[in-house]
Amino acid sequence: MLREKDTDRVENLYAKVDAYRLVENLEQCLQCGKCVGVCPVANLSPSYNPRQIINDILSGREERWLKSEEIWRCFWCANCFTLCPMDICFPLLMMEMRYRAIESGYGLKYFFPFKRFALRAREDGLTFAPASKKGREKIVKIRQSIGTTPWPEVSQKARDEYKALFDRTGATAFLEAIKEEDEKPVQLTYLEGKIINARRKDD
Amino acid sequence: MQDERMIKPEERLPEIPRTLFLFRSCTGSLEYPGTESAVKECLGILGIDAVMDPDQTCCSGYLLTCSAHKPEVSLAATARNLSIVEKKHLDTYTFCNGCFGYLSELAHIMLHNVDYLHMANSMIADWGYKYEGKTKIFHVQDLWYRMKDALAQKVVRPLNGLRIGTHHGCHYLARQYRILDDGGYPTFHEEIIEALGGKPVFYKERQLCCGYSVGRGFTHKEETVQPQLYKKFKSAKDAAVELITTVCPGCNVAMDREQPHLSKRYGEEFNIPVIDLSQLIALALGVPLPKLGFAANTTSLNGVLKKLGLEEGS
Repeated sequence: MLREKDTDRVENLYAKVDAYRLVENLEQCLQCGKCVGVCPVANLSPSYNPRQIINDILSGREERWLKSEEIWRCFWCANCFTLCPMDICFPLLMMEMRYRAIESGYGLKYFFPFKRFALRAREDGLTFAPASKKGREKIVKIRQSIGTTPWPEVSQKARDEYKALFDRTGATAFLEAIKEEDEKPVQLTYLEGKIINARRKDD
Repeated sequence: MQDERMIKPEERLPEIPRTLFLFRSCTGSLEYPGTESAVKECLGILGIDAVMDPDQTCCSGYLLTCSAHKPEVSLAATARNLSIVEKKHLDTYTFCNGCFGYLSELAHIMLHNVDYLHMANSMIADWGYKYEGKTKIFHVQDLWYRMKDALAQKVVRPLNGLRIGTHHGCHYLARQYRILDDGGYPTFHEEIIEALGGKPVFYKERQLCCGYSVGRGFTHKEETVQPQLYKKFKSAKDAAVELITTVCPGCNVAMDREQPHLSKRYGEEFNIPVIDLSQLIALALGVPLPKLGFAANTTSLNGVLKKLGLEEGS
């Protein structure tokens, strides 16, 4: 007898949820829940549940997670991946889900701070170099007190090529296309010790 | 792709190199420049040459996981950086868990999805780069552990039983098949600290994530990051930890810079300084204090230095 596969139930499952082909073994999920037990975010907000997210994706109900606030809470600590008996790289799945959420306009407020950092990094070849003169002076002062070069040595060539990579791969266009007015609200389904989602309609 | 994650022990434990490529970390050279300097000093004392290259850019993994870099840009940047190392015929050693985790994961993706390798190489080909997957990626903490006996012999400022808690950092431990220790219960930092004369403390939340990871410090500070850090510091305080070491400048930012905010929110003082393991080793090996850049720390080290009989400036 052939085993029923999740791909029988959801058409084009992987093309939809795994466009980058990074978590191709999602179907092997045993639903053991070890990922939930070890997840620091699930500990703090129990409605964030990696096992449930995989279960919903495999049964074609992932829409509610794309609209949720929960997916933006993942720390990306990869404890779930470390413990997963089937080696499912859940953080990469989370990364792809966030991209899909952004494309549909959900959770943009959790994206904009990093849009600024990314556009800054594109110029510097470094992430988190402060833009303000004061911030830069502070770094120069500490570096000089150590006796190293005033600024990390990143050549002009490195900066130019790094910047060009953003244009070549379409990353600049991607960053600039996302506008604040496209924002759609997201919802957190956990409050004050209750999982709101679990309430029945007649409650 | 998943089956290929296992690697052979001889790949994981090559001979101790005489020369290595030191991969610059953005946070490690901007927020805590003392980390970079300490790593170089330690390598110097061990007789290992560190080569750096100004053409190297950010590993570009952090903003990838914050959904701000498209995977294409990070893959191409990784291929570019690693091909620079390959031209020098060296292995890559990082001093940031982020760089280690992202470089090895992105390299893994490229080497096991030919399409990605072609895509990345096609983006950088006209500048004369080509990534082939020859350089191996390690974290300097691997070296510190493997050479801990040599380090122990060179100690000039023993740590006199200082109670030190460790923080191993998730992005190292999550690369379970290419690290030195058990990702589920690592103890190799404790062994290094013992070799330097310190007293390793196994506090309860030792393995808890710093919570700053991939930008949550900017978006969910109140909701998740601070409760998480409070839990961690509370358990460290209960175990009378006097100093915490990290191996990731990102974790260092979270645990050091966030302490004043924690005190304000929870009404409890912690004052546990947080430094890089490399800075601690350099301290024990007698590197002059100004070179360790403790001035960059928000939570002052003065108490710890006094306990060790050192004053700022010596």
